Amino acid sequence: MSYLIDEGKNVQHLLMGNEAIVRGALEAGINVAAGYPGTPSSEIIESFSQVAKERNLYVEWSTNEKVAVEVAAAASFAGLRSMCVMKQNGVNVASDFLLHLASSGTRGGMLLVSCDDPGALSSVNEGESRLFAQLLEIPLLEPGDFQEAKDIIKWAYELSEEIRNIVMIRSVTRMSHASGNVTYGPLPSDTAARAKFNYHGPLLDPENGPVISMILAAPELQHGPQQEKMKKAAAIFETCPFNTYTGPEAPELLIITSSACSLYSREAVKILGLGKRVGILKLATTWPLPPVFLKKHLAATERILIVEEVAPTLEDHVKVLAAESVQEIGPKLFYGKKSGHLPSVGELNPDLVLAVLSRLCAVPYEAAAGVFATEAKALMEKLAPPRGMIFCPGCPHRASYWSIHNALQLDGRGGFVCGDIGCYVMGILPAGFSTVKTLHAMGSGSGIASGFGKLRQFGMDQPIVSVCGDSTFFHAAMPALANAIHHRSPFTMVILDNRGTAMTGFQPHPGSPINVLGETVPALDIEKICRAMGAKVEASDPFDLEKTREKLGHLLEYAEGAKVLILKQACALSPEKRGRKKYEVTVDETLCRGEDCGCNRLCTRIFGCPGLAWDGEKKVSHIDDIICAGCGVCVDICPAGAILKKEVA
Amino acid sequence: MKQFVPGDLDAAVIQEGLCIGCGACIHLCPYFQSYRGKTARLFPCTLKEGRCFAYCPKVEVDLDGISRFLFGKRYDSAPLGTYRSIHVSRAGEKVKKSSFQAGGTVSALMYFALREKLIRGAILTGRKELLPTPQLVEKPAAVFRHGLSKYTAAPTLAALNEAIEKGCDNLGIVVTPCQATAVAQMRMNPMGNPSFEDPTALVIGLFCTWALDFRRFEAFLAQEVPLKEIVRIDIPPPPASVLEVYLQDEKLVFPLDKIRPLVPDTCGYCPDMTAEFADLSVGVLEGRGDMNTIIIRTERGERIAREAERQGYIILEEMPQENREHLEWAAANKKRRGLLRSREAGKLNGEEGKTYMRLSAEVIDEILINGKEDAPCHT
Repeated sequence: MSYLIDEGKNVQHLLMGNEAIVRGALEAGINVAAGYPGTPSSEIIESFSQVAKERNLYVEWSTNEKVAVEVAAAASFAGLRSMCVMKQNGVNVASDFLLHLASSGTRGGMLLVSCDDPGALSSVNEGESRLFAQLLEIPLLEPGDFQEAKDIIKWAYELSEEIRNIVMIRSVTRMSHASGNVTYGPLPSDTAARAKFNYHGPLLDPENGPVISMILAAPELQHGPQQEKMKKAAAIFETCPFNTYTGPEAPELLIITSSACSLYSREAVKILGLGKRVGILKLATTWPLPPVFLKKHLAATERILIVEEVAPTLEDHVKVLAAESVQEIGPKLFYGKKSGHLPSVGELNPDLVLAVLSRLCAVPYEAAAGVFATEAKALMEKLAPPRGMIFCPGCPHRASYWSIHNALQLDGRGGFVCGDIGCYVMGILPAGFSTVKTLHAMGSGSGIASGFGKLRQFGMDQPIVSVCGDSTFFHAAMPALANAIHHRSPFTMVILDNRGTAMTGFQPHPGSPINVLGETVPALDIEKICRAMGAKVEASDPFDLEKTREKLGHLLEYAEGAKVLILKQACALSPEKRGRKKYEVTVDETLCRGEDCGCNRLCTRIFGCPGLAWDGEKKVSHIDDIICAGCGVCVDICPAGAILKKEVA
Repeated sequence: MKQFVPGDLDAAVIQEGLCIGCGACIHLCPYFQSYRGKTARLFPCTLKEGRCFAYCPKVEVDLDGISRFLFGKRYDSAPLGTYRSIHVSRAGEKVKKSSFQAGGTVSALMYFALREKLIRGAILTGRKELLPTPQLVEKPAAVFRHGLSKYTAAPTLAALNEAIEKGCDNLGIVVTPCQATAVAQMRMNPMGNPSFEDPTALVIGLFCTWALDFRRFEAFLAQEVPLKEIVRIDIPPPPASVLEVYLQDEKLVFPLDKIRPLVPDTCGYCPDMTAEFADLSVGVLEGRGDMNTIIIRTERGERIAREAERQGYIILEEMPQENREHLEWAAANKKRRGLLRSREAGKLNGEEGKTYMRLSAEVIDEILINGKEDAPCHT
C-alpha cells in the first residue's frame, strides 16, 4: 500500500510538495484528476494513479491541458471533487476553456494546480501562471511549505464549493520537488461518490441549470455574479489560516512574500538575527488580496520588501492596494523588483534575500557560500570536461536529426526545420546538428511550417520541415497538420515517434496501448490518422540512416501539399529498452584510421554519441561499453567500416 | 601546391556558385556528397589540408603547373592547348554501330582499351532517367551502355575516387574539361603521399562548351514530357542550334536559347573547351554528326589511339584545315570569355584560397588578343 494512503492518525511522512498536494486532495475526498505531463507537475497525476484503485479515483493523462481541464470540469459539473494539473505553459494551452469555465462556474469543488518553473530549469521559458488568476477572475492560493501544500487543498475545495468556482493552486519547482515532513489528517472513510449532472433547472441556476458560459449579450447576468464571487473570496481570505505574520508589532521592514520565497525569507531573517526588527507576512491568498488583513500590516511599518520570483505580480497588487489606502495607512517605501533590489529573472534563493536584507537593514553579511561556490565550480571544471547538452546514448533523435540534417544539406536549397517542445528541442544545438531553426510552443513547429510553406508565392523556395513528438502530435500538432493539408502547404512533418511522452518520464498518450491506470486502451495509429487526414505519409526506422535520408529526400522533392514522415523507434530510456542492448558494438582498432583518416573524427566530433569516445593515447575511437546503449547506428557512419556490431543473443 | 582546409572549399566554391558537381571531392571523406547532380558538404571539417581542395578544378587551379606536369612545358595561349596531332575520327569495323553518339570514337577507344587490358576498368557515366550515374565498368561490352551524351554535369570523379579507394588502378576515364583538370591535379599527388601511384592509364576528355544543371534540366523536361519515356538526348553539331529529345517514336526539338538558362553560372568562368589536360580529347566534328574530332595530347594517349587504329577499332583521318581553324576559333573564344568573366569576378589570380585560376599576366594578354568574337572569314 502506498504511503500516500497511510491511515495512521497524525502520522508524519516525508513528502515531496507534489505528494503533499495529492495527500491533501485525498483527504478532501477527490474523485477525478486529469493532467498533461510537464516538469515540475508530473508526479501529481502519477501519485494519484498509484492509489486510484484503493481510493476509487478516475485519473488520466489527457491529450493536452485544455482537455484535462475539461475532463475535470465534467466531474465538477456532476458534483464531484476534481483537480486538473499542469505546468505553467499548460495553463496557456488550457486558458481558452478556463476563461469559459470561470464564467460558467463549477459545482463540485474543482482545483487547477499549476506548477511553475521559475528559472526555466525544465522549461523553454519561465512564463508564469499567477497572472492568469487575475485574467480569469478566479482565486489564487500559494502554499508556503510542505504541510501547507497538503492542508491548503482541503481548504481550497471548500472555498471552490463556497463560491462555486474553480480555484487555482500555484506551486513552484522548489515547492513541488523539494520534500518536507507532513503530518497526515484523516482520509474520508466513504469513497463511493455518485456522479449526476443536473440540468433541468433554469438557465442561470448554479445548482440545477445547464452549465454555460455564453452570456447572450447580458454580461451583468454572469460576469457580475462572477465578480461577486471574487469579493466573497476576498472576504474569506481575510481570515485564511494560511496567511501568517511573524515578527514585531511594528517592524522597521515588512517582508511580504509567498510560496518557496517565504522559506528563503525566513532563513535570511534568522541568519541575520533580524527577528526583532523585520516582520514576515506570508501570504497564501495572493489573488484577490484580503484588503483589511493586508492594510493592518502595511499600516504597522514604513518600509516594505516584496519577495517573489519572476514577475512583480504580488508587488503590483500590494502597491495598488497601498495607493488606494494611502489616507488610511500613510505613504510607504517599497522595495522589490521595480526598485531593482531583486531580479525579475530566474529563481530566488536565501542568498539573494540575505543580500537585499543586509543592505536594507544595514547588517553586514559576508556570504561564505560565494567562496564555496567558486571553489566548487573550479573543482568541477578540473574533474569534468566541459560539454554541451547532448542526447542520451542510443537516442533515436540523434539518428533522426542526422538524417534530416543530411537530407537538407544534400538537397542544397537552404531547407530548415521548425521545432517545438520535447527532448528534440536539442535540434537547435550541435547535439541535433543545429538543424532546428525555429522553436516555440508544443505543435507550433508544424503550424509555423504550414505558414512557411505558403510563402512560395513570395519566392521562398527553401524546403520546410517540422519535427514533432508522438505525444505532441496528439497534444497540439494535428490542427497544424489539418491546416497544412487543407491549404496545400508544401512542407514535411517529421514525427519523432519514440513511443511515449518520453521527456517527462514515459507517460502514456493516445497512441499508447496502456493508460496511466495500467488498463489496456485503444492505441491511436498516427500513420493511419495522417493518411486519413490526406497527407502523403512515409514511415521509417530512424536507425536505418540511409533509408530514412532517402525517404526524406524524396519527400522534400515532392512539391505538392503536406507530407508526413514517421520515424518510429522507442526512446533509449523507455522501459522496453532500458538496460537491454540490441548490439554489442566495438571499434576495430586496426581499421580505425584515427587522425590519419579523412573523416576528421566524424564519430566523436560530429555524431557525438557519448558511447563513442576518442582514445587520446591510442589516437583511435573506442566504444565506452558502460555508456553504449547498443543501438548500432554509429556502425553506419564510420567511413572506414571500423565500428562493428554483433547482435546480442 | 594548393592545400587548404575543406571549409575554404565550401566557401570558395560551393557557396560562390562555382561548383559544377564533378565529384572530385567525393568519396575522399564522409563530408562531401553528391546528390541529384549537386555536391553538398554535410558538416564542417577542421583538417588543415585536404585532397578535396587540392583536386577541385574550380579553386586555385595553377594552369601553368598542370601543363608543366603533363607536357613538360609552360601553359601558353594556344586555343586547343598542347597536343601532338589532331584528326577526324570514328569507330572502326571492330566496333559495331550501336548506342553511341556521333562517330563513336570514345566508346570505341574505351572498348579497345578494356579488351586489350590496357586499362583494368573504365569510369563511365550512364544515366537513370535523366540523372547521370557514373560507375566503374570492367566488361568491354558494357562500355556501349554508357555511350550516350548526357549534357548534364555529372559526379564522374566520385566513381573514380571510389574505385581508387577500393584499390583499383590502371583506370580509364571519360571526362569533361573541368573533370580533366581535376584528374590532372589528382595525378600530381598534391598531398605528397609517398605511396602514391598514378591510378589512371587513359583520360579521354570530351569537348564541352557548357553542361546543364541536372536539377534545372530535369524540371524543364518534366514539364514537357514524362521523363521515363526519354530514350536519348542529342545536341547536333553546329550550325544546328537545338537540343533534341528522343522518345520511343517521337522527337521533341528545343531551340538552344531555351536551354541556355539551364546552364550553371560556373560554366561561364571556364576557359577550356577541348579538355586540354586529357590524354585524348574528342568532340563532334562541325557539320558532320557522324564523325568526331580527336586531339592526341600525350604519349600514352598517342600509343593507345594508334594501336586502336592499327587494330581497326577506330579510323583516323586527316583534319581539314578549315575545320581545325574553326575549332580553334571556338576554343579561343571560350578561353577568352572564361578569363574575362573570371577576372571580373576577381577569380583570376585573385585572393589566395578563393581564386579560380592562376596564370601569368603575359599569357592572359595573349589569350585575350587571340579570342575574337567574329568567326573566321572563310566560314
